[in-house]
Amino acid sequence: MELLAIVGIVALTSAGACLAGARVLALQRSALGAALGEALECVGLAVVFLLVNLAVGMASILGFRALTGRFVSIYWLNDVSLAALSCLQALVFHCWRRTMR
Amino acid sequence: MHGLRLLGAVAVLLFVVAAFTPLANVLNVRMAGHARLEPSDAVVVLGRGGADSDGVLTNRSLRRLLRGVSLYRDGLAPLLVLSGSTGETRARLELARGLGVPEAAILTTGEALSTRQEADELRRLLLPLGRRRLLLVADPIDMPRARSFVERAGFVVYPAPTAASGPSVPESRLGLVRDIAMELCALAYYRLTGAL
Repeated sequence: MELLAIVGIVALTSAGACLAGARVLALQRSALGAALGEALECVGLAVVFLLVNLAVGMASILGFRALTGRFVSIYWLNDVSLAALSCLQALVFHCWRRTMR
Repeated sequence: MHGLRLLGAVAVLLFVVAAFTPLANVLNVRMAGHARLEPSDAVVVLGRGGADSDGVLTNRSLRRLLRGVSLYRDGLAPLLVLSGSTGETRARLELARGLGVPEAAILTTGEALSTRQEADELRRLLLPLGRRRLLLVADPIDMPRARSFVERAGFVVYPAPTAASGPSVPESRLGLVRDIAMELCALAYYRLTGAL
């Protein structure tokens, strides 16, 4: 039930945004596909940032362990804030690239 | 840029599957294996996540302790052994006492910050007392690695995972998938380095 509610709400607001975009802002419906592609590009960029952040984090922790002999948990990286910050990095990078087009 | 789009599409697909299907629950149950609740020498509750700075246990740490206390009260072992970081062990000790476990029946290990260290501490604490058969309490996804480490330390392990069906709301499922991915990476790392 909760799942259906979440999916239903998002579907409803997406349809509303489509209508508002087309009627109020006069956006072209034909450009929606390209926008979707660009959004996927942005998500892909976020994945790349997340993987790089994880790799750098793991290398740093394993390096610290090897150099100092002290234990630092890899679980430090298991935090949702890392994913959120990776998304932010991707968004900024994507916007930066757009200004060059 | 097509590569990024493809990666993005795969990520969105994985997100939808992880959040809105029971995949995480299925993986959780598979990793837990079968519980073997048999009379043992001790119930061992492994650490998980420690305690917050105000001494309150994390959700997972609390679940494990409650499972351990329940097994002890069912009479499956005469001892309840608590391991983990110092703060976590202290908070659990107080809670176990408050739940009616006699002080004489509770043992705590020295500070251990990883599962491997916990297995070493258990060996130091329990083998000299002749306690070899352990009911091991851990999260379902942690059980394969935890069991391997504790068996390698010289114990006979009966797994007693915490509830294995897992969460049913999207946010918790996403968290579980993240934990499963982390656990699989840890298993691969330990296998590659020969620790397991």
